[in-house]
Amino acid sequence: MKKKLLSVLLVAAMTATMFVGCGSSSESSDTASSDAATTEEGAGSAASSDYKIAMITDSGDITDMSFNQTTYEASKAFAEKNGVDFQYYKPTEDSDDARIASFENAVTDGYNVIIVPGYLFAGMIANVAEDYPDVTIIALDCSQGDFDGAGMSELPENVCSFTYQEELAGYMAGYAAVKEGYKKLGFLGGMAVPAVIRYGYGFVQGCDAAAVELGNASDVQVNYVYGGQFYGDDAVTAQMDTWYSNGTEIVFACGGGIFTSACEAATKPGVNGKVIGVDVDQSGTIENAYGVEGLCVTSAMKGLAATVDATLTDLLAGNWSNYAGKIENLGIVSGTDPSLNYVQLPTDTWTMENFTVDDYKALVASLNDGTITVSNSTDAMPKTEITVKEYDNIH
Amino acid sequence: MEDYVIEMLHITKEFPGIIANDDITLQLKRGEIHALLGENGAGKSTLMSVLFGLYTPEKGVIKKDGKEVKINNPNDATDLGIGMVHQHFMLVDIFTVLDNIILGSEPSKFGFLTKADARKKVLDLSNKYNLKVDPDALIEDITVGMQQRVEILKMLYRDNDILIFDEPTAVLTPQEIDELMKIMKDLAAEGKSILFITHKLNEIMEVADRCSILRKGKYIGTVDVKNTTKEELSSMMVGRNVKFAVDKVEAKPTDEVLKVENVCVKSKLHSNDSVHNVSFNVRAGEIVCIAGIDGNGQTEFVGALTGLDDISSGKITLCGEDITKKSIRYKNTHGMSHIPEDRHKHGLVLDYSLEENMILQRYFEPAFNNKGIIKKAEMRKYSDRLTKAFDVRSGQGPRTIVRSMSGGNQQKAIVAREMDRQHELLVAVQPTRGLDVGAIEYIHKEIVKERDAGKAILLVSLELDEVMNLSDRILVMYEGEIVGEVDPKTTTLQELGLYMSGAKRDNRKEAK
Amino acid sequence: MEKTSFFKRPAVQTLLASILCAVLGIIIGYIILLFMNAEHAGEGMAAILTNFFKYRIASQTTLMKYMGSFLVKSVPVILCAEAILFAYKAGLFNIGVAGQYTVGIIASLYTSLALGWNWFLCLIAAIVAGAVWGLIAGFFKAYCNVNEVIAGIMLNWIGLYICNIILGLPSCMNQSKSETYDIKDVNPAGLLPAFMREFFGKNEYMTIAIPITVIVAIVILVVLNKTTFGYELKATGHNKEAAKYSGMNAKRNIILTLVISGAIAGMAAGLYYLTGIEHFKIASSVPGMGFNGIAVAFLGGLHPIGAIIAGLFVEYITLGGQYLNTNYYNPQVADLMISIIIYLCGFVLFFRTILNRPGKVTVNANAEPATNTTDNKDKEKEV
Repeated sequence: MKKKLLSVLLVAAMTATMFVGCGSSSESSDTASSDAATTEEGAGSAASSDYKIAMITDSGDITDMSFNQTTYEASKAFAEKNGVDFQYYKPTEDSDDARIASFENAVTDGYNVIIVPGYLFAGMIANVAEDYPDVTIIALDCSQGDFDGAGMSELPENVCSFTYQEELAGYMAGYAAVKEGYKKLGFLGGMAVPAVIRYGYGFVQGCDAAAVELGNASDVQVNYVYGGQFYGDDAVTAQMDTWYSNGTEIVFACGGGIFTSACEAATKPGVNGKVIGVDVDQSGTIENAYGVEGLCVTSAMKGLAATVDATLTDLLAGNWSNYAGKIENLGIVSGTDPSLNYVQLPTDTWTMENFTVDDYKALVASLNDGTITVSNSTDAMPKTEITVKEYDNIH
Repeated sequence: MEDYVIEMLHITKEFPGIIANDDITLQLKRGEIHALLGENGAGKSTLMSVLFGLYTPEKGVIKKDGKEVKINNPNDATDLGIGMVHQHFMLVDIFTVLDNIILGSEPSKFGFLTKADARKKVLDLSNKYNLKVDPDALIEDITVGMQQRVEILKMLYRDNDILIFDEPTAVLTPQEIDELMKIMKDLAAEGKSILFITHKLNEIMEVADRCSILRKGKYIGTVDVKNTTKEELSSMMVGRNVKFAVDKVEAKPTDEVLKVENVCVKSKLHSNDSVHNVSFNVRAGEIVCIAGIDGNGQTEFVGALTGLDDISSGKITLCGEDITKKSIRYKNTHGMSHIPEDRHKHGLVLDYSLEENMILQRYFEPAFNNKGIIKKAEMRKYSDRLTKAFDVRSGQGPRTIVRSMSGGNQQKAIVAREMDRQHELLVAVQPTRGLDVGAIEYIHKEIVKERDAGKAILLVSLELDEVMNLSDRILVMYEGEIVGEVDPKTTTLQELGLYMSGAKRDNRKEAK
Repeated sequence: MEKTSFFKRPAVQTLLASILCAVLGIIIGYIILLFMNAEHAGEGMAAILTNFFKYRIASQTTLMKYMGSFLVKSVPVILCAEAILFAYKAGLFNIGVAGQYTVGIIASLYTSLALGWNWFLCLIAAIVAGAVWGLIAGFFKAYCNVNEVIAGIMLNWIGLYICNIILGLPSCMNQSKSETYDIKDVNPAGLLPAFMREFFGKNEYMTIAIPITVIVAIVILVVLNKTTFGYELKATGHNKEAAKYSGMNAKRNIILTLVISGAIAGMAAGLYYLTGIEHFKIASSVPGMGFNGIAVAFLGGLHPIGAIIAGLFVEYITLGGQYLNTNYYNPQVADLMISIIIYLCGFVLFFRTILNRPGKVTVNANAEPATNTTDNKDKEKEV
C-alpha cells in the first residue's frame, strides 16, 4: 500500500511541477488525477458522492502563484476528475476568528473535507476539529509546534497534517548554486515562519558545504533577510536593488509572491541578476512574467500538489486511517530516484551547467544515506565558514 | 380697455398650512412704475416668484399683453421679457462689468466670444439711461450702487421690458437712492414697465405711479400714488394707523455709563486704522447715535467695543470699570447688551429653535442650568414670556426653527433677548434694518422706553430718518474718525450729509 | 400647526433617505452580481442578505455565536461613527478618527501585551491616547488655524507609523507570525469581561464592549441634546460667529470637541482589540474603520442611535460578502459591492435634498401664526 501511494505521489508531483512550469494548467493535472485514479484500482468511484471538498485560503489568495494557488489547483483538479463538489473560501480577514467563520460556513454549506494550507490554520483546527468530528481536515505545513502553540498537543482522528523538510530543499538549492559558481548569494524570506526559516537555514548550510568542498569559502557570501510579508512591494524591491547593485548574483526568493521584488530588481538594466524559486518550479512563471530567459536558475520544491492529490485519493478510497491524527514529515524517500522525493530540484527545466543532474542525483543519494546531514533547527543561524550577513526584517 | 403689459389675475398660492397668496390680482400698465407694498411675510416675494416661474400657483392666470401665458420656470419668464434685480446681487466679483452683463448669453461666433458687439450695446444702453457704467471695471472695485446699475444693465441687455426691483434701496446711500429713482423714471419714460417691491413709503411717494398693497397674503387694493398719502398707504399696509415720528420726551441723562477713549482698530484690509482715535461717552438715559455712510468704521468700532474684534489701542470703560481687555462673556454679563448689525451672522443660530436662541448668552446661568443639564422647562417659560412681551410671531411657537421665521420676527426676538438681559448699556446696530414700518415703529418705541428706564443706548444706524428721530446726540463717523457731534433738534439732513461725506468736520478733537 | 406632512418632518426624511441609500446600494450590488454571473445573481444576493442566518440550519448555538461575532465586529465602526458625528455636530469634520483609532490600538495592545495591565486600565489608556491625538488636531485648529482635516490626515499617518514601530516590538509582536500576541495567552486579565456569552453560543469575544457601545451612544445623545455643553457645541457648529457673539469660548470648544471625539475613537479601538478577536499586523495603510465611520455616521442621519443601526447594517453587508459562492463570484466582488454600498451611504444628504425638493415651504411656513394658533386652539377644544 505504501508503495502504491508513493508511486501516485510521484506521478502527481511531477505533473504538477510540469504544469506550473509550463503555465498551462488543467489538462496535465487531469492526467495526474486520472493516473492516480487508475493506479488506485478504481478508488474514488466508491464513495465520492459522500464527499464535498472545500479549501480555505490563508492570508493570500488563490492567485498567489505559490502556496494557495498550488493547493487550490490540485484540489480543484482532483474534485473535477472525481466528480466531487469543490469550492474555496476566503476568510474576511487574516485572523483565527475569520478562518473559523470560513470553516463553519463551509461546513454549513455541506462540505466535509476541508483542505487548509499553511501554518496559520493551527489555531483554527484546534478550535473546531473536535466540535466537528465528521469533517475531515487536511492541513499542510502545520507542524507539531504550531499545534502546541494553539493548545492542541494531539491531533484528533479527523485531522491530518503534512510538513516538509524544507531545509533539505533549501540545502540542495544552495549547494547547487554555489557549485554552479555563484559566490555572492542572497536569501529573501517571506515572514520568518518555521518553514521559511528551514528553507533559509538549509540554503545557508548548502552554500557552506559546497564552498567548503570547492575550497573557496572565504569568497562566498550570503546576504540574508526576511521581508516580513508574503508579497513584494517597493521597500522589498529597494532592498533587492541594493543587493544586486552591490554584486549579489543570485537571490533565493522564498515566500509566496515576494519573488516579484527580487525579479524586478534582478531584471533592471545593467544588473543581470538571477533568482531561485520556491515551493514549485517557478522558472516558467517567472520567465514568462519578466521575459528574461534563464532568470530563474532553479527552484527549491516541495510536493504540495502531490500530497493533496494522494491524500484525497486515499481518503476517497476509504484509507483515511493511514493519516488520521498524524503529522507526517515528508522529505527524501529515495536515494536513487530523486523524482520520488517530496523535496527536490526540478530536473525537467534544468539549466545549470557546472552542477549537472548527475551531480544532483549524487547529492540526493548522500542526503538519503546520511552521508550528509542537514540541521532542521530554526533556533539560530547555522555556523558556517562562508560569510553570512543578516539584515533586519524589511517590514 | 387699459393697456396692461402684465396681468396676474386671482393668483392663489398655498403652502402646507398656509395660504401665501390669496386671490391676488396685480395689473401692470405699460410704462408705469408700479409699487408693490407690504410688510415682511405679506406675500410679495411669493407673488414675484410666481411671476418669475419659481412657483406654480394653484389658481389664477397670468396674461402678457392680454394673452394668457404659462410661466413654468425662470427661462420662460426671461423669454417673456421679464427681468429681476435681486436684493442680493448675482454678480461674479472677479469678472468685469461687461463679462457679468453678457454672462449666460455670451455672444459668440463659431464658439469664440465676440465681445466687441456686446461692448457697443452695453455702452449704448449705459448712455441712453445715463447709468455711467465702466464696462471694464471689476465688480469688486465698484460701489454697491454701481453694482446695482450693472444688474439693471443686465436686464436691459437682454431686452427685458418688464423690470422687477426687489427692495433695491436697502443697500444704498441717500445719494445713490436719489440716482436710482431718477434712473427708474428714465426707464419708465422709455416705455419700460417697472414693478417696485418695497416697504419704504417715501420712495413710493417719490417715484411710483400706482401702488398695490398686500397684507397677510391678501390683496388690499391698488391706489394712484398722487391721490394718496403716506399715512393712508401705511394704514393699508399694516391695517392700522402708524405714527412716523417717535414720541419721546426730553432726555434726562444722568451718570456716565460708557466711556470710550482714543480707541483705534487696525484694518484687516490695509495698513491704516479702520477706527482711529475715537472718543466719546454715553450717559444713562440718553440715546447717542453714530451716523455715517456704510463702511466708515462703524462695524469695526462696534466689533472692538463688544469684543468681536481686537482693539489695537485705547480704553473702554463701562460703569466705571475698564473692560477694554475683557472677554465677550464678561461684557455680556457685566452690563452690555448688543443688538448686532447682522442678525444672521451674529445674532442668531438659525438652525436652533426660537427658545434655544432666547437663552444664547444665558444658558449657563443657574436659571437655565442645573449641573450642566439645560432646564428645558425654564427655557420654554422664559421664551414664552419674551415672545409674548415683544410680540414675536413664529409658526410653531418656541420650537420654531429660527431660520424659518420672517426677518422682522427674527429681529424682534433679538431685541427681546437683548433688552431683557440685565444691562446698563444697549448697543443697537442697525436695529431696524430690513424691517417693515410696523416693526420699526415697535422697535423704536422699545428703544425709547429703554432710555426712559435709565439705560444708556448707543445706536449705530445708516438710516437718516432713524438717526434724526431717535437720537439725543448724533456723532458722525467718517473714515474711522468721529468728525462731528450735532444735536438732532438743531441740525438738518443737509448738514448731516456734509459731515457724512467728509466735507465738513468739527475741530473739537484738536481743541481738546 | 403641527400639520407639516409626515414626510416633511426632518427626522422622517433622514430616515427615508437612509433607507433609500441602503436599498439603492443593495440594488446596485445586485446589478454588479448580474454582470459577473447573471445565472446565480439572485442566489448570491440571497446569500449576502441571509448572511449568518444560514447557520440556523446548523444549530441555534452556532447562529447565536455568529450573531455575537457580528455584534462584536460592529462595535468599532459604530463608535467611530459616533466620534465623527459628535465632532460634526460642533462643525468639525474629524477625519482624524482613523488616526485616533490607530493610537487607540497602540495604547490598548501595548499596555495589555507589553505592560500586562488590567483590561480597565488598557481601555482607559486607549481612550486617553485617542483623546491626546484629538487634542493635537484641536490645538492646531484652535491656536494656529490649521484645518482639522489637514491635521487629521497627517496625524493618521503619524499614528500608523508609530503603531507599526511600537506594536512591532518583540514584547508585542509574535515575530514568527508577524502579528501581535494573543492577549488570552499573554495577559488574560487584559481581556474585557464577558457579556452574555452563554446566550450568544459561547462566543468568546462577547464582552462588555457591546453594552458600553450602546451606553456611549446614549450618553452622546444626552450630551448633545440636554446639556449646556452640547448646546454650546451645536451652537458653535451651526454658527461660529453667533457662538462667539454670545461669549462662548470657541477655542476651548474646538479642542474639547476633538478631544472627546478622539477619546471615542480610541475607545473604539480598545473595545475591539481588547476582545482578542483581532491581532494587529504591520500595516501599510491607515485602518479603514475611521473612514467607514464617516459613511456610517451619515447613513445614520448624524444621530447617535441612527449610527448604531447604520453601523449594524454596514457590518451585516460586509460580513455577507463571505457567503458568496466562490465558484461563481470571486471574493473581491463582495468587497467591491460592499464598497459601493458604503460609498452610497455618503449620499444620504443628497437624497434628503431630493426628497425636500417639492416643498420650498421654509420661508412662508409661519407667515400667519396668529390665526393659526387660534385655529388650533379651537380644534383642540373640539377634540
